[in-house]
Amino acid sequence: MKYFAGIDIGSTAIKIALIDEEKKILASRVTPTGSHFRKNAITALETTLSEINISMDDLSYMISTGYGRKLMKESDESVSEITANAIGAIEAGRQHGDIKTIINIGGQDTKAIQIDDMGTVTNFAMNDKCAAGTGKFLDVTAMNLEIELEELGDYHFNIKGAPLPINSTCVVFAESEIIGLLADGHNKEEIVAGIHYSIAKRTVRLAKRVGLEGNVYFDGGPAMNKGLVAAMEDELGKELVIPEHPQITTALGAAVLALEAYYDEMEEE
Amino acid sequence: MANHKDEIKHPFNLTHQASEATRMLRSITDDFPDNPEAMNYFYDLYKKVYCEGVSLHENKKIVGTMCVQVPEELIYASGAVPVRLCNGFYTDDHNGADFMPAKSCSLVKATLGMLDSKSTLPFINRLDDIVLPATCDQKRKAGSMIADMGYSVYDMEVPPVKESEEARIYWRRSIRKFAGELKQITGKKLSKSSLKEAMAKISRAQKAYRKLYELRKQKNSVILGKDVFMVTNAYFFDEIESWTEAVNRLNVELEKRVEEKYSAAQRRAPRLLFTGSPAIFPNLKIPMLIEESGGVIVGDETCSSNRMLYDMVSSDEWHLNAMVDGIADNYLKPCTCPIFTKNDDRKRKLLHMAKEFAAEGVVYQSFSGCQVYSMEQASITKALNDEDIPVLFIESDYSPDDMGQLSTRIEAFIESLKAKRRRNRK
Amino acid sequence: MIKNIRKKINNGDLRRFRFWLQIFFFLLFVYGGYLSINLGQNIPTFACGFNSEGQGATCYLIPLQHQLALSSSTLFSMAGIAVLIGFSYFVLWFLVLNKGWCGYACPLGTIQDWITSLRSRLGIPYASYTWEQFKHLKKIKYILLVLMVVIPMGIGAGFFSHDMSTPFCMICPGRTLIPIFTGDFSQLTIDFSSKTKMILTTLGMLITGIFLAGSFFKKRFFCFFCPMSALHFMLSKLAFLKLKKDGSKCTKCGDCYTVCDMQIKEIADDVESKNILQDDCIMCLKCVSACPEEGALEVKFMGIPVFEATVEGYIKRMEKENKNG
Repeated sequence: MKYFAGIDIGSTAIKIALIDEEKKILASRVTPTGSHFRKNAITALETTLSEINISMDDLSYMISTGYGRKLMKESDESVSEITANAIGAIEAGRQHGDIKTIINIGGQDTKAIQIDDMGTVTNFAMNDKCAAGTGKFLDVTAMNLEIELEELGDYHFNIKGAPLPINSTCVVFAESEIIGLLADGHNKEEIVAGIHYSIAKRTVRLAKRVGLEGNVYFDGGPAMNKGLVAAMEDELGKELVIPEHPQITTALGAAVLALEAYYDEMEEE
Repeated sequence: MANHKDEIKHPFNLTHQASEATRMLRSITDDFPDNPEAMNYFYDLYKKVYCEGVSLHENKKIVGTMCVQVPEELIYASGAVPVRLCNGFYTDDHNGADFMPAKSCSLVKATLGMLDSKSTLPFINRLDDIVLPATCDQKRKAGSMIADMGYSVYDMEVPPVKESEEARIYWRRSIRKFAGELKQITGKKLSKSSLKEAMAKISRAQKAYRKLYELRKQKNSVILGKDVFMVTNAYFFDEIESWTEAVNRLNVELEKRVEEKYSAAQRRAPRLLFTGSPAIFPNLKIPMLIEESGGVIVGDETCSSNRMLYDMVSSDEWHLNAMVDGIADNYLKPCTCPIFTKNDDRKRKLLHMAKEFAAEGVVYQSFSGCQVYSMEQASITKALNDEDIPVLFIESDYSPDDMGQLSTRIEAFIESLKAKRRRNRK
Repeated sequence: MIKNIRKKINNGDLRRFRFWLQIFFFLLFVYGGYLSINLGQNIPTFACGFNSEGQGATCYLIPLQHQLALSSSTLFSMAGIAVLIGFSYFVLWFLVLNKGWCGYACPLGTIQDWITSLRSRLGIPYASYTWEQFKHLKKIKYILLVLMVVIPMGIGAGFFSHDMSTPFCMICPGRTLIPIFTGDFSQLTIDFSSKTKMILTTLGMLITGIFLAGSFFKKRFFCFFCPMSALHFMLSKLAFLKLKKDGSKCTKCGDCYTVCDMQIKEIADDVESKNILQDDCIMCLKCVSACPEEGALEVKFMGIPVFEATVEGYIKRMEKENKNG
């Protein structure tokens, strides 16, 4: 049996996916990046491998992606997270078919990717260097409201009034705006919903730049937030395809690319 | 120069600018294998000027220019030397941010920052005049700020529409007026023979550039884009004759590379065109990222390079007025600067270049705060996409803090071009 | 082989080539008669027939004006066929060179170029029209063409006297000047035989004066007004020799416009038209030789490229120019 690994070293989390030659996911892991990301990445990888009782030497091919991709000397090669994300989305969204647009919200960036049937990236857009509308935004919201990140979805659906308009797109300014709204006596639910709509609007605008065709696939950690998904679907006017494990799509894509690279190399030899 | 803050001047090689230049130069020379031998002339030139503070053009009047529209033939003919002041230093961008609006473009901020701090260019204190064509809003308004720093500034009028006959007349008059201004500065009146000589001087430089331009059409790229930007950028301030000779030497070496079928990039490296806001040393951030990510820049459409050197002037009879008019037309009509109303010429130019250079994609840089390039982006992208040429639009500035994100985008773009090629093969 | 010949031509010095070809045509048309050369009377350029001894061919405008003055009964009889044959010959001749007849073969054009070269040698700059003047002046040639047709027909119909026959020739500076080259000054007189003739010949003298002065300051001064040029333009779409432009390669640098004797802006500004020939064009092809864009301007003969803009050729010619002090 052959094993292929994809490792996605993002700004907030390290994601790992292990697959076999049938592209079946054997194990996966999501762990915080922390400050020693190389050490953490290797530890996480070793732990994942031990789950299926194999070691680094058993890996046929490994591809790294994400911000830390270039520094991961253990991998055979690196690929940008946009390419990996596209391949991963095709793989994970196979049963939904016809995925043409991918929206990914990460810790510090938001991407919209347009792909063709084969997973080839035909166009993409990314937020400019500021973190507005990214996962960071949700972190800051949860922190200021003193609730858990996982609870944001529940708050969203328990809303009584209308979502509050959040005007600031900048994370730092939004923070003070949230505090102001709390001070004015607004409910946490309405603030949460407001934040979700604010992110959704921004993200959909980005996605429109690459074109919204076919099924829209939504991944990244924030895709686990049901409230945000609802807000996004509202703004888009159509349903989103949410994978089973939204965080590991990109790692999965890297693993699939590792598999392809391995067989390409075999063929050449 | 009156009214300027007294600063303790550091030895030149210890300034922030010098260290910024040193870092970039090292990266340009050391991060890539097998740089052409003949490039050493240019690397050394940058080192001398920006790291060691060696002055050029001794005993000559120096006229600083702020945009590509200033006819250099007239300046040479008046016995002065033109030096393009558009600046690429992040340190100067910071200096400029002290007194410029936060959202202004890095290039303008850095240029004003340099003029204000009177460092970076060793001969900045010797500028006899600064010619400022009224191009974009930011440059236009920079004039009085520069004048307040104690420089002599000449505002050169530029028509906002370039197609009409009125624009031609207006611009020709503006150029003749400029010739008059030059006489004031240098005390030398334009003559038929001095202008003809100046035109010949520039046309020799352009001829060398054109040769280099042709060499980049080779299937095997014989030179990397980062080096070509170093070459054309040196034209900003170098002594023109030695620049021309150096380019000719480079061309000879590159011709040898063609014979040897040598490739400066990976053989299958996606071929890219670079357009938009100009890459000016040391802000070669994006060209460098492109070539570090496995792409190769085969051509460009920017005012620091191709737009500055490509179009050559000719004259029917060598009479002074006819020559001046011909020069004027040549600096206006083919200019693809986005300050003009229409985008058609730039589209045509890029489409033609993409074909000529077999480019597979276009990277479009727009400095944050550069309205005109950002606005023109959509229509240029559409025109190129319609011909199946993908475009990567990047809004960036001189600060290095978006390098991580940019490298992801650039790599993804290059990967997508490779994937597209595979798909088309199937 | 063909590639090498093409390269030679594209790198060639058009100016010199043209200078000698113009002399050849001048000798042919002005002195050919002495060698018993006669190319007929349907030549589409000013091979002036008033140069009775030397002419090697005759300008078609002479028979045209005569034929149009025939009475309608004659015109619609067998003689009409002869008129048509004449016209066909004219068209055939024209098709070969298109407006190249103006830039290379016309003796009156050549005389103007010599005057221009004299002026240039004296260091006197040339004059140009403003765009407004240009727009209005260029219409004159069409007015002259209409008059040249209407007046003879009026004669045929009996409205005008025969004194007005060949009205254009009466005012054409070719009639007064070309015979001088064979020592015939007889056209430089005013004909007092009738009032009409007196007026017409006086006008002719006047225009000759204007021609000499005008072409001294303005390159190809007379060509703006030439009815033959207007007639050419109507047929130019059919001609074998063509001036083509590929707008996608043009940067609008304006070098072609700068060298154009006729101030034709379209040559630089029009990036849409493939067939770039304008009514004022004399097909001197200076624009092609001044164009630094590979293949942006091109001369074709029946679809075969004859002369093409190349960077190499441009640079070669520029270097030569720069050497000539």
